[in-house]
Amino acid sequence: MRLIAHHILACHAKGCTSNNFPLKFSDVESQNAEAEFSPDFLKGFYPKIEWNVLITTAKEKFIKFGEVSLPEEQPNLEDLDEETLKKIHHVLLEIDVITGKMSCPNCGHIYPIMSGIPNMLLAEHEIA
Amino acid sequence: MPTSVTSTTVNSDAEAYEEEHVHAIYDQIASHFSSTRYKPWPIIAKFLDSLPSGSIGLDSGTGNGKYLPLPLDRPNSICTIGLDRSRNLLKFARQAGGKKRDVIWGDVLDLGWRTGIFDYAISIATIHHLASSSRRRQAVETLIRSVSPSHGRILIYVWAVEQDGLSKRSIPPEENSTGIGRDVFVPWILNQSPENEERSHNPSVFNRYYHMFVEGELENLVQDAVANLGMVVGSAKSSVERRGVEILQNGWERSNWYIELKRWQV
Repeated sequence: MRLIAHHILACHAKGCTSNNFPLKFSDVESQNAEAEFSPDFLKGFYPKIEWNVLITTAKEKFIKFGEVSLPEEQPNLEDLDEETLKKIHHVLLEIDVITGKMSCPNCGHIYPIMSGIPNMLLAEHEIA
Repeated sequence: MPTSVTSTTVNSDAEAYEEEHVHAIYDQIASHFSSTRYKPWPIIAKFLDSLPSGSIGLDSGTGNGKYLPLPLDRPNSICTIGLDRSRNLLKFARQAGGKKRDVIWGDVLDLGWRTGIFDYAISIATIHHLASSSRRRQAVETLIRSVSPSHGRILIYVWAVEQDGLSKRSIPPEENSTGIGRDVFVPWILNQSPENEERSHNPSVFNRYYHMFVEGELENLVQDAVANLGMVVGSAKSSVERRGVEILQNGWERSNWYIELKRWQV
């Protein structure tokens, strides 16, 4: 599971409708997955990026770029330079989480990741 | 090999019925099924090709992920995330087209992501596996809620009662027409040894449940889903309402009914 999916996923357990994003990682094993750099994609996706989530994610200890230092404030779209775009590209599209857990910041529900696939299924009594 | 479908009746809880007659089967036939599903249908390819670069979308019921690499002439310009109930099919989807893909093990009725985050959603040959009309409507509602309220686009394909001559399947004779489709079993003939030896009583034929849609049924389902969400069907111009869903195209192709939708708000 690449981190772009983490930027999308939210808890959907019964009654959990606020503060349910982002899910919090734990026990993560990841690997680098090189992906073709596509500035057009990133610029289009840019308005959907929650900057605080991105910089928090970029500081996760399983990120393997060396230092992924992103500015604390989100740059305007037109001010984005290639270096920053490449860092965003790396964080969102080049880290593949193979195993781990994601827990909801609100209700604590845990979504496991196995063989690179996040399990978002809920038991019947947990469904909203 | 020509196969034929047989009528069935959903005689238990719809969810349990799907578990037995859809999910369990796809997990067992995943490998063989995936090897037969590689050709994208033209209207779906065209839909994906029309999306602006930077779009992110959901393929709800992605199967082996054959639509995840599209558009082929603009790779990496959009990102489609594939969702399926079959974990074994997702193993194929995760590497569809030889590249790393983003997949989710989940249910098409659930909304396990930021509401309205997707620019588009497709649901191809999936909703016809849901075993009650309310569950089919709920799946459409999930698609609508998943895409952007201002511009989200949706394409849905379901299997039609009305089959063309090229189709390999023969349909049981028409009963009285009610505007509601037919619940049928569609056999899958496994041409290789089954992955699960427990099914030794009849290892090679798997009857998958389908609800075959009649003409107009998919559009009615969309109408019900939109109304249930407190929105209107129609164009933004012709309405006094603030949020709605416009039907952009609605038709039949290759034994399937399809409908394309676009959300709007003013």
